[in-house]
Amino acid sequence: MKNKVLTQCILLLIFGISAATAQNRHTVSGYVKDQANGEGLIGVSVYVREAETGVVTNPYGFYSLTLPEGNYTLVFSYIGYQKVEKTANLDTDRTVSIEMSDESTDLQEVTVSTQKEDENVRGIEMSVNKVEMKTIRKMPALLGEVDLIRSIQLLPGVTSVGEGASGFNVRGGDISQNLVLLDEAPVYNSSHLFGFFSVFNPDAVKDVKLIKGGIPSLYGGRISSILDVRMKEGNSKKREINGGLGTIFSRLTYEQPFAKGKGSFIVAGRRSYIDVLAKPFLNSDLKDSKFYFYDLTAKVNYKIGEKDTFFASGYFGKDVFGGGDFGFGWGNATATARWNHVFSNKLFMNLTGYYSNYDYTLGQNQNKPDAKDKFDWKSKIISTSIKPDFTFYITPNNQLTFGGQYIYYDTRPGKAIAVSEGENTDISLEPRYADESALYIGNEQKFSDRISLQYGIRYSYFRNLGPGTEYDYIEIEKGQRKFPVLPGKQYKKGDVIQSYGNWEPRASLNIGLSSTASIKASYNRTAQYLHLLSNTAASSPLDVWTLSSGNIAPEKADQVALGWFQNFKDNTYEASVEVYYKKLYNQIDYVPGSDLLLNEYVAGDLLFGKGRAYGAEFYLKKNKGKLTGWISYTLARTERLIETVNNDDWFPARFDKPHNFTSVAIYEMGKRLSLSANFTITSGTPATFPTNRYEWGGWPIGNNINSVRNNNRIPAYHRLDLAATLKSKRKLFNVGQGEWVFSVYNVYNRRNPFSVYTRANEDTPLKTEAVRYSVIGSLIPAITYNFKF
Amino acid sequence: MKNILNTFIINKVAFVPLLFASFFLLAGCEDVIDLETETGPEQLVVDGWITNEAGPQTIKLNWSASYFNNGPAKPVLGAEVTVTDDKGKVYEFKDLAGNGQYIWGKTNADTLGHIGRTYSLKIKNQADIYTAKSELKRVPTVDSIVYRKEKLPFKPDKGPQEGYVAQFYARDFVGEGDTYWIKPLINGKPAIDKAVNISIAYDAAFGSGAPSDGLIFILPIRESLTTDSLYSAGASVGVELHSITNETFEFLKQIREQAGNGGLFAVPITNIKSNVVNADPKGIKALGLFGASAVSRKQTIIDPEKARPDED
Repeated sequence: MKNKVLTQCILLLIFGISAATAQNRHTVSGYVKDQANGEGLIGVSVYVREAETGVVTNPYGFYSLTLPEGNYTLVFSYIGYQKVEKTANLDTDRTVSIEMSDESTDLQEVTVSTQKEDENVRGIEMSVNKVEMKTIRKMPALLGEVDLIRSIQLLPGVTSVGEGASGFNVRGGDISQNLVLLDEAPVYNSSHLFGFFSVFNPDAVKDVKLIKGGIPSLYGGRISSILDVRMKEGNSKKREINGGLGTIFSRLTYEQPFAKGKGSFIVAGRRSYIDVLAKPFLNSDLKDSKFYFYDLTAKVNYKIGEKDTFFASGYFGKDVFGGGDFGFGWGNATATARWNHVFSNKLFMNLTGYYSNYDYTLGQNQNKPDAKDKFDWKSKIISTSIKPDFTFYITPNNQLTFGGQYIYYDTRPGKAIAVSEGENTDISLEPRYADESALYIGNEQKFSDRISLQYGIRYSYFRNLGPGTEYDYIEIEKGQRKFPVLPGKQYKKGDVIQSYGNWEPRASLNIGLSSTASIKASYNRTAQYLHLLSNTAASSPLDVWTLSSGNIAPEKADQVALGWFQNFKDNTYEASVEVYYKKLYNQIDYVPGSDLLLNEYVAGDLLFGKGRAYGAEFYLKKNKGKLTGWISYTLARTERLIETVNNDDWFPARFDKPHNFTSVAIYEMGKRLSLSANFTITSGTPATFPTNRYEWGGWPIGNNINSVRNNNRIPAYHRLDLAATLKSKRKLFNVGQGEWVFSVYNVYNRRNPFSVYTRANEDTPLKTEAVRYSVIGSLIPAITYNFKF
Repeated sequence: MKNILNTFIINKVAFVPLLFASFFLLAGCEDVIDLETETGPEQLVVDGWITNEAGPQTIKLNWSASYFNNGPAKPVLGAEVTVTDDKGKVYEFKDLAGNGQYIWGKTNADTLGHIGRTYSLKIKNQADIYTAKSELKRVPTVDSIVYRKEKLPFKPDKGPQEGYVAQFYARDFVGEGDTYWIKPLINGKPAIDKAVNISIAYDAAFGSGAPSDGLIFILPIRESLTTDSLYSAGASVGVELHSITNETFEFLKQIREQAGNGGLFAVPITNIKSNVVNADPKGIKALGLFGASAVSRKQTIIDPEKARPDED
């Protein structure tokens, strides 16, 4: 009933809008690009002076405005770029495509934000953070390796379970509840080296946006946040080579235009080279050991006329570890093909098709077919999708978005063969299949100069598909492992094992208080059909993405957020305060002693419950001047209620950090030198300690008499990092540019705890002791050299 | 992940420094610190195990203590302890030495445990009555102990740099769900100094969700006789293979998990489920486990002449 009313409302609005467009109106549309390299500029403000209205460019740099017949002045503005004014006589539909250039090289370098100057106040988006790649590049980084995910962890509302842990947590959600998109393809594991580095090559990334709330209906599939990473298109003006030698990676990027600038491509590669450096120092037994990781990113685009652009992009990365007959590796591969088409100047279409694969392998003698003993274990998830998205620029006051998505999942939770003395046993788990479809519609409507509303709805539909076996489980004791009823029910190819559908309403409201202040509010419901089963403190590469089924219901979340946004001193400072409350449903936990890997009956090891997360985020950012950066403080809480755990009471989630303060400062010392600093202080993560010990079998065993979880907290985490970037005076080979980056991570050499745990003493097994474990136990200096031709 | 990785890694001694080499800059560090935790009341702890081998059988009863109390466990004295099999035969256990070790069969060479029977433990301590049950399951014979020469690429803290990796051969019974505890024997005595080195098998491999029924025990398990150090020539090495119930398998697995639970991939601490039940559901719960097993064993003296050639 509720849904029906909503649908009618939407139809009414659209109908009303169409009626309004029946006057004598014409459309001006086009693309906005960067003059230096031809990259489309995202979020440029296009303001119509006479009509006192405007739009911003979409992720491909496209805009469209439909206005009554007349003469107009279009003002294109974008922070750090020279303003461009164009006149257009709208006696018919017009195309106005422009290129914008930097105000000056210096100013460009101090630019922090790529959005239009007051977008944070005027725009409908809230709970969205953008960090410009130029800023990320200047910030001090662990081992000097510029890293997107680590930089994101410095934003309000974002935390991580600890140093070196994979992924990030947004507003009390776990890491698997973030949709990490690389050119619209999901990345299932964003980590190299167990989580120390992320898979995104900073040289190939153009734009990063983190959506923590007010998620538009365009996005779906994860319940906590969207990290939308867009790759560079490649310089369409001239050949460009970038590279660097770092402590961990060496990097090389090549960009070039073709077909007279109609097309361009970029190829970027990185590889760790500790193994190469270490080789001479290893003796013969370790000569065949392997430990390296690499990634390769490529993109090509080609434009046919004003109406069509084609993009193809891909990512391939691997981590490889091994020694002797032992091997361990994981990696992602994604491929995206896109077609942008402009219908009748007002209707923009982006059609995306993608393929994304995450796999890992672990084993012994894997590549020796005739080994008498062998263990070969592989797991992967493949998703293939098609996704049409339309934007209909009805009037400057109504921008309608609609589209859909179809995803097919092919998962192999575990394919494992054990060979013991020449005997083969296949201990593989069944492949699992599913599909997910979604339709959405949304409208961004300006009611007046001061009030705008974005509202929409998404309907997602998930089917767990045959062939496959579904088991019923018997619960013998609450909170303990459930046992399958054998044999399970067999489904054939084409059978639907289980299906789920969810309406996901979304809404955001912006009420302007003045030209520099606004209040925003948003609500969103999100659903997630894919679950990363992980019971470890930090997620490991072996964790398996598991599909919803009869035994695993979709995760859902409802979030409301309210915020106040204000800019000061001609948009030099941006300030915001946001509060949010989030309810999470069907959250997953694990029975004691759970087996999540190579377990056909893994659903029997899961516990379900709900979650709640709430907090306040304070954010002050300085965008202009020699000193730029931000200060952020988050006061938050995230808790879970899981049957039988913590005596059926709420307990803090593993990544709950009530206080989280970060600050980033970048100072330009002149044309050649810039200095930067990060400082972070956060609450320690929760921990559970035993109250008592007992002896069994000669070993001390810990026991918590109250059976509680996470009732203690480890000491606070704080860290200061510094970096300096120095541009070389002389040109590199007379044409290029070089720069040195010096950085020190953890300047005052603090041993920040990742965890505190209890154990038996190594030498006296019956002695019990408490141990503080620090992932990084000292300060880490690093030097990186970057070059550009 | 931990269990499986551990099983691989502890047996691949050479792999550990290699991992370190790759993380030499990022190697984490551990410091022993003072930690204050609250303390709960004492609980009765059962550490009882009976086998099908002839001779005395022991059931130890202790009290739990506060976590950082590193003194010896306080014994439970004056309890009445009996084990009854499923045919009704009662075996009395007596604490003759007054140290909480209740022993049956000190004076005879009879055998208590028999394959296929179920044994019930009953403890009466003052007003409290505790019970536990365990089946004594079948165990396969150990066919052989073999060893190969191995040279470590570094000088280890413990044991020789050049020595032998021993493994045992035995075949799991046909029929899913047999569980085993594999104990290395050094000089004829079971030697598991650290709980992280507990080696258990479900059929011939790791766990119940991935059947490996009726196989020769798979490789990482076979080599679990070699834990922290290599064996030298002339050492007496062997295996004691115990059949255990699935319940005991879970208990041991959780002990191992708790013992190795540090670092990036730690799991939340949960209390280990005991199979000992207080007859009064409102009474203080007991801890520990009463287990029964059939045992088969084999041992050998390492003779360099008979070492297997290295496959690599």
